[in-house]
Amino acid sequence: MRDKFLHKPPDLDLFASDLPRVEDALPGRVNADPERLERGLAQLVLTVVELLRQLMERQALRRIDGGTLSEDQVERLGQTFMELDKRMEQLRTEFGLTEEDINLHLGPLGRLL
Amino acid sequence: MIEICAITAEPPPPLPESDNLHAVCSAGLVALCTPADEQPLTPSVLWSREEMLEKLMEQCDLLPVRYGSRVEDDAAVARVLAERQGQLAEALERVRGAVEVAVRVLETDTAPSTTEPPASGTDYLRSKTRHAKVATDVHEALGRLARASTQQAGRAGSELLRAAYLVDRGAVGSFVERVAELQKAKPQLRLLCTGPWPPYSFTSG
Amino acid sequence: MSSIGEPDVTLVDLIDRLLGGGVVVVGDITLAAADVDLVYVGLRALVSSVATAEEKGVLPELGSSL
Repeated sequence: MRDKFLHKPPDLDLFASDLPRVEDALPGRVNADPERLERGLAQLVLTVVELLRQLMERQALRRIDGGTLSEDQVERLGQTFMELDKRMEQLRTEFGLTEEDINLHLGPLGRLL
Repeated sequence: MIEICAITAEPPPPLPESDNLHAVCSAGLVALCTPADEQPLTPSVLWSREEMLEKLMEQCDLLPVRYGSRVEDDAAVARVLAERQGQLAEALERVRGAVEVAVRVLETDTAPSTTEPPASGTDYLRSKTRHAKVATDVHEALGRLARASTQQAGRAGSELLRAAYLVDRGAVGSFVERVAELQKAKPQLRLLCTGPWPPYSFTSG
Repeated sequence: MSSIGEPDVTLVDLIDRLLGGGVVVVGDITLAAADVDLVYVGLRALVSSVATAEEKGVLPELGSSL
């Protein structure tokens, strides 16, 4: 295959960690055959959770930038988000899903996240 | 079924026979199409499509069409061109003489936090802010060398930036030099730059 | 499909583009699970409206009872 690299660092494998499953990547297709239905549903649920998590995190960061939160509040928010992040990772692992898997294709509408 | 692979302006470029391509012309535009087939989706199939598009791109500016875009027949292709003539013509003008370059940036100095839990909630959030700032710095620095740029929403983990840049064909070399400079200046990051690609990320305004 | 031993890094960039980018032609594209796709469309609309609200600063603030 052609060499598409214009600039690459020596530790290239860092960039390969989340290779998506090509067969699942076709636009607009969530595998709904019975064996993969559970995985498809898990994808859907975890995507929504991830969406909300990102939204909340962004809001929190804006509040922190705005300087309206006390140190205590910042610390508590941070702990919560750390926990949420860890839990999301565990859930993804349990269902055998990568970060790419929950960044769903919506066909003409692009990616969800 | 007909699969649409690329859109360009009239007149159609010379088409290599090997790729089973034919041209459908309408409204001053040309759609380059192949018969749709049902082959399973594999990396090799995708790379073949990409190679075909890149060969065509050597002859003309084009808008790559998303893989799997199928319509019933040539008449349907002509209708698509006619209906979207304005948008497509505008997009072609936007990408004239340019190619797409992809950049991904990772942070590597997270070793402490991968072996032990992060120190505190505050650190966690502060590092997110820091990540966002680094991503913005790199994106803006490279954006200055491009006609246009896009970036994807942030991801969890160590990936700080995933972006695409529309770069003049002749300016790719200096763009890559800038990437190398940024890499040198920021040893805690890893920058990956690939391309040139057809302008996938710049087909709509 | 890469040289032996080298991770298929550029495939990520290719997939982002060929499957996630490019001109979108709304035609007779077969969708595997129509019902589920309707839900996705709803989600996307939600995301877009949230993103717009974020930009305009009209999203309700996080509760004060942290």
